[in-house]
Amino acid sequence: MKTQNINIEKEIATEIQNTFHTAEVNIKRNKRIEVKLRNDLIPPFLSYAKNYLTFNHLAHFSCVDWIEQNEFELVYIIYSYEKGVIVLAKTRIDREKAEFVTTRHLWYQAETYERELHEMFGINFKGNDRLNEFILEDWEGIPPYRRDFDTVKYATDNFYTRPGREDAKDVRENVTKINKEEIPEFAKEYSVRSLK
Amino acid sequence: MIYDKSSGKIVDIIKNYARKHSLWIVAYGTGCGAIELPPTMTSRYDAERFGIRGSATPRQADVLLITGYLAVKTLKRVIRTYEQMQDPKYVIGFGSCTINGGMYWDSYNTVKALDRYLPVDVYINGCMPRPEAVISGFIELQKLIEAGKANGAKKYKENLDWYRENQRKVIKNWKMPDYNW
Ligand code: SF4
Repeated sequence: MKTQNINIEKEIATEIQNTFHTAEVNIKRNKRIEVKLRNDLIPPFLSYAKNYLTFNHLAHFSCVDWIEQNEFELVYIIYSYEKGVIVLAKTRIDREKAEFVTTRHLWYQAETYERELHEMFGINFKGNDRLNEFILEDWEGIPPYRRDFDTVKYATDNFYTRPGREDAKDVRENVTKINKEEIPEFAKEYSVRSLK
Repeated sequence: MIYDKSSGKIVDIIKNYARKHSLWIVAYGTGCGAIELPPTMTSRYDAERFGIRGSATPRQADVLLITGYLAVKTLKRVIRTYEQMQDPKYVIGFGSCTINGGMYWDSYNTVKALDRYLPVDVYINGCMPRPEAVISGFIELQKLIEAGKANGAKKYKENLDWYRENQRKVIKNWKMPDYNW
C-alpha cells in the first residue's frame, strides 16, 4: 500500500509540473504536496486540480502575513478523496493592495473563508458580494490578524485590566530549558514586549 | 393584622429560604465553560438535588451563569439577557476568564473583568471549574441568598450609570433598548 502511495504523489507532482511550468512543486511528505504559484495562475490551477485531478474538496483556505516582505501568502488546502492526497496551493499577493479573486464558483464554502479573511486581514475578494460584517461586530481600525496590529496594546487600552497579574512571568525560558530547545530569534522580541 | 419589623423579617426569611432552593439557570452558555454543565446536571453530580435546574428563557430564570470569556459581541447579548430577567436574579461568574481575563487577557475582543459590566454575586475560579466547584459555588450563592446578601440586582439598579458607562466604553455601536425598571 505505502509504496503505491508514494508513486501517486510523484505522478501528481509531475502532472502539475508539466501543466504549470512556472509552478514550484515539492513533495513535502507522504500524501502532501506543496505547489507555489504566481497569483494569476491560482484560479486556473484550482479549476484544473478540481476538475481534472479530482481534488474536489476545499479543506481549508487561510492566509499568512509576511510583513517583512510586504506580502500576504494565501494557502488553499485541497484534498482528493480518490487519491487520498492533500495539495497545498500557495501564492503571494501584495499586502498594501490586498486584493484577490474569489473562488466561490469552485467551492461554495470558499465564500465563508473569504469573509473571514476579509474581516481578519482586510483582503478584498473580487466577485464575492457577501464581504460584509461576519464575526466581529462594529470593528474599527486595522483588521486584528494583521501583524502590525498590536493586540496587547489594544487589549490594555480598551478593556479594564484587573490589578494583580503584573508579576506574571515569562515561563518560556524555563520551558525551553527543560525541553532542551531554543527560543527562536524573532520570538524573543515578542515575549519581552507582551510582558510590558 | 399588625405589621411590625419583626414580622417583615420572618416573611423575608421564608422568601429567601424558598428562593434558595429553587435556582433556575438560563440556558445560555458563553466561552468554554458551558461544557461542564451537562455533567453537573446529569446523574453523576445531579445538581437538581440542590434545586438547580435549567430554564428555557431569561424571564423564567433566576441565575445567569457566565461560563467563560465574553467577547464584546457576546457581552451585548448577555446584558440584554440580564436586563430581561426578573427579580430575584443573580449572576455567577464562572472561570478565570470572567475574573481577570484568564488566558484571554491579551485578546483583542474579550472583556476581562465581568463585574464592571454586570453585578456578580459569586465567582467560581478555575480554568475550567469542574462540577464539584460549580456546585460549591451554587452552595455559596445559596448561603448568600439565605443571609439576604445576594443583592446584585439592587446594586445594578442603584449604580446603573456606572455600569452603563463601562458598557458603553466597550460596546461601540450602542443599539440597546432601555428598560424602565
Ligand atoms: S476560564 Fe478557561 S475554560 Fe473558562 S472560558 Fe476561560 S479559558 Fe475557557
